[in-house]
Amino acid sequence: MTGTSFLGAFEQVVLLAVAHLGEDGYGVTVRKEIERRTGREVSVGAVYATLGRLEDKGLASSWEGESTARRGGRARRHFRIEPAGRRALEATRGMLDAMWDGLDANPADR
Amino acid sequence: MPRPTLPWFTTRLLALVADPETREAQLGDLAEEFEERAERGLGDATAWYRRQVVGSMGPNLTRRVRRALAVVTDRKGEGRMKTLWHDLRLAMRGARKNFAFSAVVVGTLALGIGANTTIFSIVYGLVLDPFPFPEPDRIVGVGTAYPKLGSALGYVENMSPAEFMDIRDNASTLEDVVAWDMGNRQIDSDGPPENIFSAFWWGDALGTLEMNAILGRGFADDEVATGANVILIGEDLWTNRFGADSTVVGQSFSINGQPYTLIGVFPSGVDLYGTELWMTMPAGPEVYDRNRRQFQVMGRIVEGSNLAAVNAELDGLARRVEQAHVAEFEEYEGWRMQATTWNDVSSQFFRAGVWVLLGAVGFVLLLVCANTANLLLARARGRRREMAVRTALGASRKRIIGQLLTESVSLSLLGGALGVGLAWLGVQGIGAFLNTVGVNLAGTVALNGPVLAFTACVAVGSGILFGIAPALQASRIGISAALKADGKGATAGSSRQRLQRSLVAIEVALAFVLLAGGGLLVNSFLRVGQVDPGFAMDNVLTMRLTLSRDRYPGDAGPAFFRQLTERLEQLPGIEQAGAGTQFPPVAFAFRQIFFDGPEADAEATLPTTLTTIVTPGYFETLGVPLLRGRDFDDRDAAGAPLAAVINQEVADRFFPGQDPIGRRLKLGEAGADIPWWEIVGVVGATRNLGLDQEPFPEVFAAHEQVGGGQNQLFLVLRTRDEPASMLPAVRQAILEMDSEQPVYAVRTIEQTYNQGIAPMRATTLLLSIFAVFALVMAAVGIYSIVSFTVGERTQEIGLRVALGADAGRVRGLVVRQALLPVVIGAAIGLGLALAVSGGLSRMLFEVSGSDPLTLGTVAILLIAVASAASWVPAYRASRMDPVEALRAE
Repeated sequence: MTGTSFLGAFEQVVLLAVAHLGEDGYGVTVRKEIERRTGREVSVGAVYATLGRLEDKGLASSWEGESTARRGGRARRHFRIEPAGRRALEATRGMLDAMWDGLDANPADR
Repeated sequence: MPRPTLPWFTTRLLALVADPETREAQLGDLAEEFEERAERGLGDATAWYRRQVVGSMGPNLTRRVRRALAVVTDRKGEGRMKTLWHDLRLAMRGARKNFAFSAVVVGTLALGIGANTTIFSIVYGLVLDPFPFPEPDRIVGVGTAYPKLGSALGYVENMSPAEFMDIRDNASTLEDVVAWDMGNRQIDSDGPPENIFSAFWWGDALGTLEMNAILGRGFADDEVATGANVILIGEDLWTNRFGADSTVVGQSFSINGQPYTLIGVFPSGVDLYGTELWMTMPAGPEVYDRNRRQFQVMGRIVEGSNLAAVNAELDGLARRVEQAHVAEFEEYEGWRMQATTWNDVSSQFFRAGVWVLLGAVGFVLLLVCANTANLLLARARGRRREMAVRTALGASRKRIIGQLLTESVSLSLLGGALGVGLAWLGVQGIGAFLNTVGVNLAGTVALNGPVLAFTACVAVGSGILFGIAPALQASRIGISAALKADGKGATAGSSRQRLQRSLVAIEVALAFVLLAGGGLLVNSFLRVGQVDPGFAMDNVLTMRLTLSRDRYPGDAGPAFFRQLTERLEQLPGIEQAGAGTQFPPVAFAFRQIFFDGPEADAEATLPTTLTTIVTPGYFETLGVPLLRGRDFDDRDAAGAPLAAVINQEVADRFFPGQDPIGRRLKLGEAGADIPWWEIVGVVGATRNLGLDQEPFPEVFAAHEQVGGGQNQLFLVLRTRDEPASMLPAVRQAILEMDSEQPVYAVRTIEQTYNQGIAPMRATTLLLSIFAVFALVMAAVGIYSIVSFTVGERTQEIGLRVALGADAGRVRGLVVRQALLPVVIGAAIGLGLALAVSGGLSRMLFEVSGSDPLTLGTVAILLIAVASAASWVPAYRASRMDPVEALRAE
C-alpha cells in the first residue's frame, strides 16, 4: 500500500474517460465517451458530482474554458487527470487483478 | 432555422438544485448537447433533457449536502478558533499598548479574585467539606433543646446514656448510633508524660463514619460492651509522638497509670473536636442517671432515608420520652431533639462568620467589576474610531462584541492567575494568625482543585460581567459620526454617561454595604474591649490539675489544693493563689438550682445557674469584689454547715429587693433528697460566659465541703509581673508536693480571652480591610468618571466661564452633578445594608444591625470621599482658561 486511495466503480469510469480524452475533456465529451464505451446513459449531474469528488481528492483538476452561443453563453469546464489520479487508477486495477487472479472471469464459462 | 427552446421548467429546476460550483457548466453542457440532439428530433431531445435533469437531482443534492457538512465540521470550527486566536492576539497587543490601564485593571481584579479565593478556600475547608468521610451528608449529630431550662439547641454534652439508648434502639432512620464523652488522659509511657484530649466511645465511631483505621482496626463490639483497655490514636499523635512507627499497634501503653493496648490509628481529619486518643467508655448506662447529660450522640442516616425523615422520627421519639419521664424529670416538658449534619454541627460557631466574609468578598469583587466596567467605558471612547473602522471594514456587531469580551476575559484571567498567588499568601497569613490562638488550618484549608475551579469560574464570570456592558456600548456605534474628526459629540455619548453614572451608583451602594458591615463589626469589637469584665483580667495565670482518685481519695483532694495554694502564695512573684472548677470569661458548668421560699415557683423555666467549686482565695485572686456577707474561710470545712456564695446576678434575679444572706438553696431539683446550702455572701457579677455575653447567675461552693468527688480544678494565680515568667517556679512547687502530678492547659486569662475573640477579631480585621478597599475603589470610580465628564464638557465649561460664571459656581455645578449618582447609590446601599444586616446580627455586640450612628457615619464618609474625589477635577475645570477651553477639540 502506498497510501493511494482506491476508487469506486463509477469514479474509475469517469476518471478513465477523462484520461482517454486528454486535453479535450469537458462535461459533454466525458459523458459521451462514457456512453460510447459502456453503452449506458449517465446523467450530467452524476458526472459533475463525481468529478467534484475526484477534484477534492486531488486526482483530477479543472479549469474554466470558453463559452459559446450554443451553450447559452455558459462557459465549459475542462477536466484533466492528475498524476495522483493515474496512480489511483493503477492501484485500484492492481487490487482488482489480485482479487480476480485464479478465478475464470470468462462469462461464457458460467 | 429557429433555435430550439430548452424546456423552461426543467432548466429552472436544475438551476435551483445544481451545485453552485458547477451549475453553469452543467447547464451549458446540457444546452450544447440538447441543440445537437434537437437537430435529429426535438421530441427525443426534450425527453433526453428531462431524463438528464431528473437523473442529476440526486447526485447534485448529495454533493451539496456533503460540502455543507464539510464546511460545518472542518472549515467553520477552524474559523472559530482562528477568530478566537486573532482576538486573543489583539487583546494582548492592546494590553501591551495600554500598559498602565491594563496593570490597573489586572491589579484590582487580582485583589478582588485573590480575596475571593482566600475566603472561599477557608469556607470550603472549614464548612463545605471539612471531613474525609465518604458520605459526610449522612453523618449527623443529635442536638437537644430544653425550653423548660431555657436552653437553646445544643450539640455538646447534651445527652445522657439513657437518652442515647432511646435513640440507638428506637430510631429506624439512623444506624450505627454512637455516643461519646470527652476529657483529658495522660500518656505516661514512651517519652515524657503528655496530656491528650481524648474521646470515650460508646460504639465504633469509625464504623459510623465509614472510615477505616490507617493501621490496625477500630473498636470491636465486645470491647465497647466490656470497656476493654484498648486505645486508638490519631494519625497526628502517631506521627508526632511515635514517629509514625507501624509497630506500635499491639503494644501496651500506660494511660493515667493503667495499661492499655493500642489497637489502631485513625486517619487525620477524623479527630472529632480535636480528640487524638480514643478509648472505650469505662462505665455502662446503669451508672449514669437519665439527667446526667455529658455525652454527644452521632449516627448515620440509613440508605434511602433523609434528614427530614430522621427529624420527624426524633420528634415522635422526644414526645414519647416526654410522656414517659416528664413526671420525674421536669425539663422534658416541651423538649426536642434535632439531627443536623456533622459538617453543620462542627462549623456552627464560625459558620456565620465565614459566610459573612464570603458575602463581603463577593461584594468586593462586584465592586471591582463595576469599577473595571467604568474604566473600560472610559477607554472605549478613545477606541471609538478603531471600532468604527472595523465596522466599516465589515466586522459584524457580534464580531466586535466577541473581540471586546475576549479582551475583558483575558484581563480577568490574568487577574485570576495573579489572584491565586495573592490567595496563597492570604491563606498563609490567616493560617499564621489563627495559629497564634491555637486554631490549625493546615490540612483543612488549601488551594485545592475545587477552590481553583471556583476561582476559574469567578475569573471568567467577572470578565464577562464587567466586559458585557462596555462591549455592547462600544459595538453600538454610528460609523459616520465616529469616523468624523475624533468623534466628538458622537451619538453613544449620552447613553454611555448614563451607564457610567449607574456604575458609580452601584459602586457606592456596594461600598456602603461593606463599610456598614465593617463599621458595625469595628463598633462591636470596640464595645467588647470596653466591657467591664467584673474582675481583673491582667496578670492571672491559670492551669488545670486533675488529681488521681486513687492517690487522693475523699478529703485528700481538697487538702492538696489548700496546701498547694498556701505554698504558692509563699513564692515571691505570686500575689494571690486560689483554685476553682472554672473561671470567667469561659465558665461552662451549669446546674439546676432550687431556692427555699415562695420565689421558687415564680420562674417559668427551671432556674439554672453556673455552679463553681472554689477554694478560699479564689475571689481575691481574680479581683471579684465581695459585696455582702463573707468570703469562704476556715469555717467552711467538711462537716460544717454548708455555705454558698452567690453573684449579684442571682441576688438581682431571684431575691429582688431582699437580703439573700441567710436564705437557702439546693444544687439540684426541688424534690431531690439533697442538703440545703445557706447563702453567706454575695460577690460581684463577672462576664462569666464571655465578654460579649451578659453576666449569668453563678453559685459558688467551697471545695472542702463538696469533697474529693471534685478532682479537677484550675489553679488561678495573680502574679506581680509577666505571668508566664512564674511558670517554672509554679511547676517546681507542684512537683515538690507530688512528683507525678502533671499540669496542663497553662494559659493566662488574657490568652483565654484572646482565643475566645479570635474569630471576631479576624472577621472584623478582614471586613475592615475589604471595606477600606471598597472605599478606595469607589473613590477612584467617582474620580475617574468626574474627570472624564469634565474632559468631555471642556467647551461648555469654557463657555460658562467666558460668559462670567465664577469658579465657585462651576465647581459647584460639577460636584453637584457628580454627587447625584453617589446619593442614589448611598440610598440603595442603605437599603441593601439593612436587608443583609440580619446575617451579621449574630456577630454584633451591643450594636444593632441598623445602628443609625454607624450607618449615618458611613453615609457621611462616602459622600465626603465622593465630594473630595469629584472636587479635584471640578477645581481643574474652574481654573480653565476660557480661550483654551473653547478651542479645545
